[in-house]
Amino acid sequence: MRRRAGLPGAATARPQGGGSAPSLAARLKKIPRPVATAVLVCIAGFPVYWMVTTAATPTGDLFNDSPNMWPTWHRFDDIVAVVLNDDVPIARWLRNSAFIAVGTTVLSLALAVTVAYALSRYRFYGKGPVGFSLFVTQMMPEALLAVPLYSMFIGWGLINELHGLVLANAAFAMPVAVWILKGAIDAVPMEIEEAARVDGCPRYAVLWHVTLPLVVPSLAAASVITFLEGWNEFLFARIFIFDAEKWPASRGVSSFIGEFITPLDAVFSAALIFTLPAIVFFLLVQRRIISGLTAGSVKG
Amino acid sequence: MPRIRFDSITKSFGATEVLKGIDAEVDENEFLVLLGPSGCGKSTLLRIIAGLAAPTSGSVRFDGESIEHLEPHERGVAFVFQSYALYPHMTVRGNIAFPLIMELFKWYHHTPIVNGFVKRVLARRPEVADKVAAVAETLELTDYLDRRPKALSGGQRQRVAVARALVREPAVYLLDEPLSNLDAKLRTQMRTEIASLYQTVEKTFIYVTHDQIEAMTMGTRIIVMNDGEIQQSGTPQEIYDYPANTFVARFIGSPPMNLIPATIAGSTLRLRSGIVIDAPTRPADRPEVLLGLRPENISLGGDGHGGAGAGGGGAGDGPRGPAEGENRAQAGAFVRVVEHLGAETLVGFSFGSADDDTIGAGIARRLYYMKIPGTSSLAPGAEIGLSLNMARARWFDPDDGLRIPAADA
Repeated sequence: MRRRAGLPGAATARPQGGGSAPSLAARLKKIPRPVATAVLVCIAGFPVYWMVTTAATPTGDLFNDSPNMWPTWHRFDDIVAVVLNDDVPIARWLRNSAFIAVGTTVLSLALAVTVAYALSRYRFYGKGPVGFSLFVTQMMPEALLAVPLYSMFIGWGLINELHGLVLANAAFAMPVAVWILKGAIDAVPMEIEEAARVDGCPRYAVLWHVTLPLVVPSLAAASVITFLEGWNEFLFARIFIFDAEKWPASRGVSSFIGEFITPLDAVFSAALIFTLPAIVFFLLVQRRIISGLTAGSVKG
Repeated sequence: MPRIRFDSITKSFGATEVLKGIDAEVDENEFLVLLGPSGCGKSTLLRIIAGLAAPTSGSVRFDGESIEHLEPHERGVAFVFQSYALYPHMTVRGNIAFPLIMELFKWYHHTPIVNGFVKRVLARRPEVADKVAAVAETLELTDYLDRRPKALSGGQRQRVAVARALVREPAVYLLDEPLSNLDAKLRTQMRTEIASLYQTVEKTFIYVTHDQIEAMTMGTRIIVMNDGEIQQSGTPQEIYDYPANTFVARFIGSPPMNLIPATIAGSTLRLRSGIVIDAPTRPADRPEVLLGLRPENISLGGDGHGGAGAGGGGAGDGPRGPAEGENRAQAGAFVRVVEHLGAETLVGFSFGSADDDTIGAGIARRLYYMKIPGTSSLAPGAEIGLSLNMARARWFDPDDGLRIPAADA
């Protein structure tokens, strides 16, 4: 039974809910959340689990009547062998993927920061249309732009070049980064920037002395999105890159799929290796994705 | 130290005119308070001085020279923001040192990544570190130098903001409602600290506030603003004693000055309720006036019937009573509200009958206040006799609200 605070004699009562053991209903209420979490984790984690298991199972065993449900760990030597195989330059492909991902991240963030700052802080003619057209880029499917991009890249000599892929991916990733950063910059109080200007910081330098350090969480979030956009590059690589030397890993892995034979364990081994850098990048960045950095700057 | 001049400054945001031609001058080493209700344009004026906003027309001059082309940091001003605007990603030390470090920065130090290293090196220089330590000492922040702003209390944040202004040794301090986010007790304390800071640094202070107590206690001169226009400029005492118009009269003082509509008939005044009181001094040639009386110039006393004659102090003179001589009139009234403040009591009364407008906005409109020392046993509804110190009465035109000089009878 709950006791009502404020009644005579109830002054020493403990706060509601903090006293006697929770009722059955209260305990039942606590169940759905962990259950829902577990279900979501299973749904999201199953492909990863399947990738690991398949990678660690010899191709022959994959088609057994009793499939192997647990990875056989001694097979991880074979996974390493995939990377070191001279016929399959997966290390080089990974390097290409890294180049595209890092290039996309750096280029799109460098542009996005300035665009987002301008959209957030300045009033200028055409501000609305600029913001809207950034949205429009997200509505177009990549495949639709493949042909026009192809003809442009031929003219610019970017066909069969990794730089071209960086440019193409940055074009898609940058608008998302702009909107993430604009929201963050909007939340930085104007007074902090004004204080910096009074304190002698030139207007162009306010951005990195004061504003950027305060939007680091959003910068980190945007960098994850742009990095993955570049890392997962496949379509344009498939169309624009001809030399196997210049393939990113995604394109390389897909080349394992043959007309007659697909070495599933090799495909999944490569996929596993392909996944790891992205996970490492995310782990490095995710601790920066914390909010509340601006707390304490203004008001009590 | 510059003498600051405003030359018919206007400022519009779109169709809204925030400042409508401000002309004023700020003397060297003056503590000028810009006082007015929210939205009267006082903060905008301060931002124009700092260079954070540009006037639509008119100009600000420091020692006769226009400063419009100067960046905020080139104007030799420091700005304390209402929200403090501390840099949350820097420690208290970093916050205070920032203006000094920026002074030492060359343009190429601002390059991203490089600036971080340069900042660290410059912060260790003795001319920066010692100055930061000295200012922190003055404002009792030494123990908090390595904390971030979010780990500070409101009062400490306020002091960091002041320290950041102080460290640059500017010629002009601009303070934009710096105390409005503090609780009442801390506000009183910081008020004293800022006032003593002003005595110590001997520089020009321009202080924006909507709090008339801050203005009265700290300012050497006050400019009262409303609706983007200057209503009055003068010392706190001048503004309190001789408000230029009804707005100033009502804005300064708590509770505000009582403005009682009255008709002059010969040497007497007839109030709306029909009460007639003696008026030895009164404006000449004007039938309709507003009689302005501060709450402390009304006291209990008299026989409760109007027109009983002037002269002779009533029972319980106000503390300011005899300054301009005794010249009292009597009137009857009804108590409506009694507010006990401990050392004194505020009594809200009306001249009308006891049952008039006892609820709603009507009562507030016709309610006048008096301040009596000590506690009082008066209860709402009681009929009282008032003693009005007519020597301290101010007169206003009911149409344009301007003060009218009184002439002896």
